[in-house]
Amino acid sequence: MNKGVIVSLIVILIGVIVVITSSKDVSTYASIQDAKSGNLVKIAGQLSKDKPMEYDAENNPNQFVFFMHDQKGGEVKVVLNKPKPQDFEMSEQIVVTGRMTNDVFSATDILMKCPSKYKNEEISIKDQNG
Amino acid sequence: MATAYLGEHLYIGYIGQIGILIAFVSAILSAFSYALSSKDFDSGWHQLGRWAFYVHGASIFVLISVLFYAMYHHFYEYAYVFDHVSDDLPLRYILSAFWEGQEGSFLLWMFWNVSLGFILLHKPKNFEVPVILVFALMQVFLTSMILGIYLPIGTEGFKIGSNPFVLLRQINEAPIFQNADYLSLIKGRGLNPLLQNYWMTIHPPITFLGFSSTIVPFAFAFSGLYSRDLKSWIEASYNWVLFSAGILGTGILMGSLWAYEALTFGGYWAWDPVENTSLVAWIVLIGGIHLHLITKKTGRQSKLLYLFYILAFVLILYSTYLTRSGILGDTSAHAFTNMGLESQLIALCLFFLIFGLFWWIKRFKSFDKQTEESVYSREFWLYISALILLLSATLIIMATSLPVFNKIIAAFNPNYTGRVITDPIYHYNKYQLWVAVVVSIISAKAVHLRYFASNWTLIKKKFLLRIFVYSVLAIILTWMFSLEISYFHWQNALLSFSAFFTIVSNGHYVISKLKQDTKLAFAGISHFGFGLMIVGILGSALNQKHISSNPFLFGEVFTKKDVTKYVQLIKGRPLFSQNYWITYESDTLIGKTLTYSIDFKEVGADKNVLNEFKLHPNAVYSNDLSKIAAFNPDTKHEWTRDVFSAVVSVPPAVESIEKSKEIEGALVYNKLTIPISDSIFLEDSIVLKPLTIHYEPSNVVYNRHEHVAGLGVSIKIHDLASDTSFVVEPAFGIDGALLYNYPVQVQDLGLKIRLNEDNASSYFSEDAKLDYQEYKVKEGQSFKIGDSEVKLVGLNKNPKHKNYTSQEGDIAIAAILKIKRNNIEEVAEPIFIIRDNLPQSIKYFLPTLGLHIRLSFIDPVNETFTFQIAEDINNLKNITLDIAKNVPRTDYVILLATVFPAIKLFWLGGIMMMLGLFLSSFSRHFLKRKIS
Repeated sequence: MNKGVIVSLIVILIGVIVVITSSKDVSTYASIQDAKSGNLVKIAGQLSKDKPMEYDAENNPNQFVFFMHDQKGGEVKVVLNKPKPQDFEMSEQIVVTGRMTNDVFSATDILMKCPSKYKNEEISIKDQNG
Repeated sequence: MATAYLGEHLYIGYIGQIGILIAFVSAILSAFSYALSSKDFDSGWHQLGRWAFYVHGASIFVLISVLFYAMYHHFYEYAYVFDHVSDDLPLRYILSAFWEGQEGSFLLWMFWNVSLGFILLHKPKNFEVPVILVFALMQVFLTSMILGIYLPIGTEGFKIGSNPFVLLRQINEAPIFQNADYLSLIKGRGLNPLLQNYWMTIHPPITFLGFSSTIVPFAFAFSGLYSRDLKSWIEASYNWVLFSAGILGTGILMGSLWAYEALTFGGYWAWDPVENTSLVAWIVLIGGIHLHLITKKTGRQSKLLYLFYILAFVLILYSTYLTRSGILGDTSAHAFTNMGLESQLIALCLFFLIFGLFWWIKRFKSFDKQTEESVYSREFWLYISALILLLSATLIIMATSLPVFNKIIAAFNPNYTGRVITDPIYHYNKYQLWVAVVVSIISAKAVHLRYFASNWTLIKKKFLLRIFVYSVLAIILTWMFSLEISYFHWQNALLSFSAFFTIVSNGHYVISKLKQDTKLAFAGISHFGFGLMIVGILGSALNQKHISSNPFLFGEVFTKKDVTKYVQLIKGRPLFSQNYWITYESDTLIGKTLTYSIDFKEVGADKNVLNEFKLHPNAVYSNDLSKIAAFNPDTKHEWTRDVFSAVVSVPPAVESIEKSKEIEGALVYNKLTIPISDSIFLEDSIVLKPLTIHYEPSNVVYNRHEHVAGLGVSIKIHDLASDTSFVVEPAFGIDGALLYNYPVQVQDLGLKIRLNEDNASSYFSEDAKLDYQEYKVKEGQSFKIGDSEVKLVGLNKNPKHKNYTSQEGDIAIAAILKIKRNNIEEVAEPIFIIRDNLPQSIKYFLPTLGLHIRLSFIDPVNETFTFQIAEDINNLKNITLDIAKNVPRTDYVILLATVFPAIKLFWLGGIMMMLGLFLSSFSRHFLKRKIS
């Protein structure tokens, strides 16, 4: 058999192995209930606007605490180890990555979906002064 | 009822609409004619195809000019203009605004396609027909993206393309359009402040030229398959392919540099889907170049080569699909709006994928039988590296495409919950590290092998000796580098070794080839650059250090490393962190930009300052100044490292007007009346003492405005707990009936103090209500008013007073009065003026003593001075303040500051990679011209 073919097969084999092993890196979006397993997961949900948000820049700028809920009705306290993101209150959806420990979700990363800032605006009227 | 609107420039729209139609029809005609002309090169079809392409190109240029003209002149009646420019948008951003939107960027892409097409039209005929056929087909698809036609299919209708010449009033229903003169009332939305930088001017054109240029290898590969001439396109297209890889790579590198220079996340690569898809296309293109080289040098035909070029182009189309269809949704930080073009984009990808694969499979039998190559030949290793690159690209694109897979599976199984990569950076790095190791090592040794393994037995010893020496040098360099940085894991040390291995090997290769055949050295430059880039990544990504990490803060649930990335800096209060003194010194608002001045002092072991520098990260407010829209970092560039700094968060009151109002609204002010010079306890430990009253306040904010009259009170506040004192001066200004308040905030004590409006009536008495008494004195004489002793000590012939502006012909004189009461001594200078033969006097008011003094007459004969003096009717001993407690601070920033060691190597390496590609491309181009 041609060496090229052998090498190609080896490369394909490596590819298959990688795809199989990398399945560990992949997770589904967990519900808050599922996250209680303590695994590293992503949770998608909304900010609980009726619950307090806590950001004390003076004592710990790297910690922002809020509550979020998901579609299945779960609610959880999230401790994010980042400053409070801009326009956080305006977010439509939040995705946090992290682990649940003692009923608190420790998030290392956050993504927010915000209403498009420039598209849905009303037609802006010129300032009377300007 | 139709309204006759005023001031619209409808002719622009007419030209635009007709232009788009002509462009679309001519592209179809061109493709159609070229498809028919192929059998007979000199047929009329061929001529027609060519002319149709010319017409198409011309109409694209017209479309771009017309749209640009409309944007340049702010014709807001067009939705695209309204959405992307505004009255206050600086002219230098007009190009950025042009390609900010989907329509404009499609036009940019078409512009490059047409330009490249025009150059390639002059290729020999056996290339022109298939190559321009592909171009024309592509243009049909791209033009359809801006068609803007609604087909009445289904319930909602089906939209083909999004037209940039649509009128604002056609797509919006707003009451404003009932006004015929609505144009005079609207201003554009303008360019997103995040994009208002020069990167947005240079990065898109380069990137789109890169995107556009990937059609060239595809078209040439197709020409080979189409004409069954699998040989001649290899030579004709090689410099084009190199150019395409160079320009696409430059675009990616620039995007990376933009992220690093202008975004606050502090890095240059985030494995974001938008980055990944372009990178993958580039990797496949590079793989293709290696296979191309095999065929070019050895004549061995490669089926895979065609597949690579088809894939590279389709991947670019796929990246367009990913970024413009909105499918990435929550996996990408990049915000792209879905414009309903999804099915068109899918059609674009599938068409060229199927088109390419169809011809590839159709010509399978035309390929030569493969012969065995030796493992000691260069072509064998070129082939292997192409496969590795394909593997690398496959792994990246599979992971990036998870949202697409999710969507497909969900279409069949609605209960399916999508999968995501939990930690993308970790995932990609883990696998791509091995790709980098293998690619480095192969590129290091392959350049020293020969095609066909010729003379292998002769060069074997030399080859092995070289590899041995390179390895030893690489080990030494790896060790030396470890003195500067850490590897943490053996995998990283191995990566470092392989990078140095390729640097040494290719460095040697370049030097040796420069003497013989310069053209061959260029590949070495690219490989050398790749090695440098890897070393730069090991330094800057693996060994980045956050200066802004405060070790005294520990979170409850996080590891130390997680928590300590950001610090709070309070204005004027130095913070010691990671051997740096960091001080937030000041901030300045100019226009929309709030620029911070942050001072860094690096301190050595014995507390000596090693170096000091200032960085100026900023925050940019939205176009209407209502809130902060973007933060921009600032970086200090040094040869061996960069110090990156960015403000990532500011106090809510600074962040937006809305929040500021919310906070102000929640404050509880208590009214407090205090005698001047008296002290009162505000809290257990805070003592407040009003010192003096000023009619010309020195309050900084007050002085930025002009008022007819003003009042300020300097107040001393002593905090017994920390034994610190502050002197503040709340003030107000009066313009007629309006009163402007200038409160002050004592940040450290959480106090906000403002002058109560009651002060206005008690401190500004009407002259008519005062009871003036007359006093006649000579210079040097004294007299008494109540407890006060008044002495006329002298005269001032150049009097100055804020209520007096001298005019020509004025005779003005001020009397200098010294007034003593108990321990207080004050000076008053009332002025007497003769203007146009009429005597006038300007009152001097001493607030502390409550005396209003006028110089009403001077008798030159007897040298007597007549004064009118009244004691103020108000009680000027008290001041009324409004005081709020627990006011949140407004004088801090949350800072991210990171040291990136060796980051220059990353950029230098990247530039060398692209430079090698460009040099190869151009040297071959000029070589070809020389020969012909």
